Amino acid sequence: MRSSFLSALMPKPSSGAARPAPGATDEWSGLMVAAQAGHGGAYRRLLGEMSLWLQRYFQRRLPPGEVDDAVQETLLALHRRRHTYDPAYPLGPWLAAIAKRKWIDQLRLLSRRPTEELPENLSVGDHEAAVTSTSVLASLLDQLKPAQAQVIRLVKVQGYSIEEASRATGLSVPAVKMNIHRGLASLTAFIEKTSDVE
Amino acid sequence: MLSDALILDLSANLAPVRRRHPMREGAMLLALGGFELALLLGLGLMRPDMSQMIATPYMLWKLCGLALLAGVACMGAIRSFSPTVRPRMGVMVTLGLAMVLMIAGAFVTPNHHAGQAWLTRLAPLQGMACATSIVVLSLPIMAMLSVLMHRGAPTHPQGSATASGLAASTLGAFIFAFCCRVNDPLYIAVWYCVACAAVTITARWLLPRRFRL
Repeated sequence: MRSSFLSALMPKPSSGAARPAPGATDEWSGLMVAAQAGHGGAYRRLLGEMSLWLQRYFQRRLPPGEVDDAVQETLLALHRRRHTYDPAYPLGPWLAAIAKRKWIDQLRLLSRRPTEELPENLSVGDHEAAVTSTSVLASLLDQLKPAQAQVIRLVKVQGYSIEEASRATGLSVPAVKMNIHRGLASLTAFIEKTSDVE
Repeated sequence: MLSDALILDLSANLAPVRRRHPMREGAMLLALGGFELALLLGLGLMRPDMSQMIATPYMLWKLCGLALLAGVACMGAIRSFSPTVRPRMGVMVTLGLAMVLMIAGAFVTPNHHAGQAWLTRLAPLQGMACATSIVVLSLPIMAMLSVLMHRGAPTHPQGSATASGLAASTLGAFIFAFCCRVNDPLYIAVWYCVACAAVTITARWLLPRRFRL
């Protein structure tokens, strides 16, 4: 099961979502060089285009309520670390590596956040379920133990309270909490070990 | 949209940045190591019989082996400060090389050590002093690597911290090797490894703290 999972996660040539398209990054590379030299206009354009790519990247990997935070955290990280980009190399892998790190950080944050305090109106059930059912996150959740995946899907993605998830699954409240915590930790550790997840 | 406001904010009054250069970082590390070595030699702490020992297989094994190990470890650590590089490979190469060097040490053991008891050869009190000296010599290097790591963009901070600990400790061990008067590879393998492990564990625990990409 593990090996089939790994092979399923290997980047597929047609998908291209884990890294920006090479044509775009050639142009972005020039903009980043200008930004490193202090050109604000080039930087504004670059961040604008990158934020659209990041928006798509995180929409497929995080619950919808987390996407904006992740995009902004990544933009801030790109800003703080812009001096580490070396124009001798393509910009795509540099951006993708930072975005992946922020994805992991966001998942960690999600597992640490007290689940009791989630607002009831966090999400719109059906729409989000439809979005996440086709996302990378959903396919990763399928690799967890069924009980862990189910409670993460209910509480972290669809916005159920712990008590509602407990009633829906027949698990006790502490068991729901434990499954969420352990499931997100396993997910984070797995993504960290895998070179590319698509 | 919140991101638009953030982008406007980030791009306003944008200051030019000095690009990161791994070669410059390596040179800084080398300069610090050179300074520590010069300080030790200037204080007259080099082993007195170095002129006779320098051409022996044991001393060549010790100095060349540790120089090679420190070079590989430092390169691995500095490379890992780039977001696209995974530190695991550098750490594995360093550990593999350390194993090879320890095995090679068996072939350069002076004959008179072979028949001695292990405890005599290990000389625990002297060994503790050697290990402590290596740790002390490694601390400034670890501090510099910490600064370089926080200025870089490591996407695996724990791994980069481990790589930095290995780099600092092996460079510290190389510098100390000029002062160490013991001529037994077993002693070197055990006590130098103890020191390197202590520094690496400390770096692994300390360096990722307060790190935010």
